Amino acid sequence: MTRVRHAWQTSRRLPLVPIIIFTIVVFVAIFAEAISPHDPNAMSLADRLSPPFFMSEGSTAHILGTDNIGRDVLSRMIFGARISLSISLLVIIIATVIGTTLGMVAGLRGGRLDAFLMRITDAALAFPALLIALLLAVALGPSFRTVVLALSALSWAPFARMMRGETMKIRGEDFVAQARIMGCSQTRILIKHIFPNVVNTLVVLMTMSVGLVILIEASLSFLGAGIPPPQPSWGSMVADGREKFATAWWISLFPALAIGAVVLSGNFLGDWIRDKMDPRLRQL
Amino acid sequence: MTRFIIIRLIQAFATLIVISIVIFALARASGDPVMLMAPPMATNEDLEVIRKHLGLDKSLPEQYWVFIKNMVRGDLGQSVQNRKDVTELIANRLPNTAKLSLSAIFVGILTSMILGVTAAVKRGTWVDNGVKLVAILGQALPSFWLAIVAIFIFAGWLGWLPAGGMKGPATFVLPVLTLSFFMLPIYTRLIRSSMLEVLDTEYVKLARIKGLSEKAVIWKHAFRNAIIPILTATGITFATIVTGAVIIEMVFAWPGLGRLMADALNQRDFPVIQASVMLVAVVVLTVNLLVDIAYAWVDPRIRYD
Repeated sequence: MTRVRHAWQTSRRLPLVPIIIFTIVVFVAIFAEAISPHDPNAMSLADRLSPPFFMSEGSTAHILGTDNIGRDVLSRMIFGARISLSISLLVIIIATVIGTTLGMVAGLRGGRLDAFLMRITDAALAFPALLIALLLAVALGPSFRTVVLALSALSWAPFARMMRGETMKIRGEDFVAQARIMGCSQTRILIKHIFPNVVNTLVVLMTMSVGLVILIEASLSFLGAGIPPPQPSWGSMVADGREKFATAWWISLFPALAIGAVVLSGNFLGDWIRDKMDPRLRQL
Repeated sequence: MTRFIIIRLIQAFATLIVISIVIFALARASGDPVMLMAPPMATNEDLEVIRKHLGLDKSLPEQYWVFIKNMVRGDLGQSVQNRKDVTELIANRLPNTAKLSLSAIFVGILTSMILGVTAAVKRGTWVDNGVKLVAILGQALPSFWLAIVAIFIFAGWLGWLPAGGMKGPATFVLPVLTLSFFMLPIYTRLIRSSMLEVLDTEYVKLARIKGLSEKAVIWKHAFRNAIIPILTATGITFATIVTGAVIIEMVFAWPGLGRLMADALNQRDFPVIQASVMLVAVVVLTVNLLVDIAYAWVDPRIRYD
């Protein structure tokens, strides 16, 4: 089989669209300054409310139109991508580190420590993330830091729960017992023996969480408790476009579609990874 | 069974304490409240008097105890914005939110059951694919945007329904439907996959061989067993609905608790948000507790040994 043929067949089994979307978003987020046609905060009252370029009064100067104070929608979306992505990345990393550590320790040790940690996890899980985030926003004032703090505080719980479950499934295995007999410390057992076996589920959870975090951040910004203006966030862009929805529908539409696209891609990617990891389906 | 209930109750109570500590800590973290309340010309002595009056000169654990005592007695403080009793504000708004949420849950459960069962029964057909598509899109697209679109289409463009407020049955339609959409995707997919699993089982095959009508097979046998995993999802769904209510109430100008919170957010009215969040915590924990108990009652394998 030629190399080209092999590459083509491999690529056909990959979920191309989600990967492409993610790559584009990451690329855009990193190179925002270079790609963006305008300054996202540059107001131009002369150009306000101009429609996207494919409509009659639109122009290619503002490809996706402008909002009610003349800021270019496309540029704001580009910078908004950077904000949404950096928030979700930070939150997921923090949540993974905290949640996985707590979950694995609780799963391996069991007993009182497990019960105690699970109490805290349940408290965090039971509670609607948005409301605690609202509380934090009022207490500490809305800012990038507050949003990351609020979202991390609530995202670690599902990780802890899942890692605990996975660890508990594995801790009865022979190789764990053997490691213990050989004199491995608990930490070493966790890192070298248990972790590699749970990392599959972890990756799936991480991918699925991307969409969720972005949605909550968008909801927060929509309510005014997220990234404060003038920084563009997809959620606050939708809120901005609310008043003029009938006439200037593009202000809300494009950010909403962006959110949907990223969330969908995250979900599909997570599904695909999970299917790939499932040994029962591997033969298909 | 009783042992399970007692243990669960204690756990729920402990969780509640943890949440109240978190809320209390956040209140103190938001800065010195005395500075907010005192007039600008107050001297340090005046500030001390205010502090003493508000009990802020006591140690933190003491303050926490006072906070808890007041809450239990029903005194939730005063709104920073308009000096009204928070308890009164909440009592006014709570019924409206309850009406909205409960209607939405009812509609949501009904709709997702119909959709989920239909999709499972007609698996692979366009009905199934259509339902799956709606579920996927409903989960991915931001719900606040969908709400705005709904207003635009049904209230603005078609003019069939009012755009907001809470006067008369017509104003219920859009908010309830949009709010139920928060839970539709998850519930529908859950019911569908649960039904698919059950439809494959032996006793369903037996029912068919016996000659029962397809309707009886689906609704009398398969459905009842498919419901069990749904119970687990109910707890999460409730939290989702509560979250969604905040957004929906804001978009539709619905005079409820969610809108109170959204407004208090803009005004930095901490006592109001604190009390609302505490109330929501109590409700959510209670619902989760009831769901867990119901679950243990239905499935005897889920108990504490």
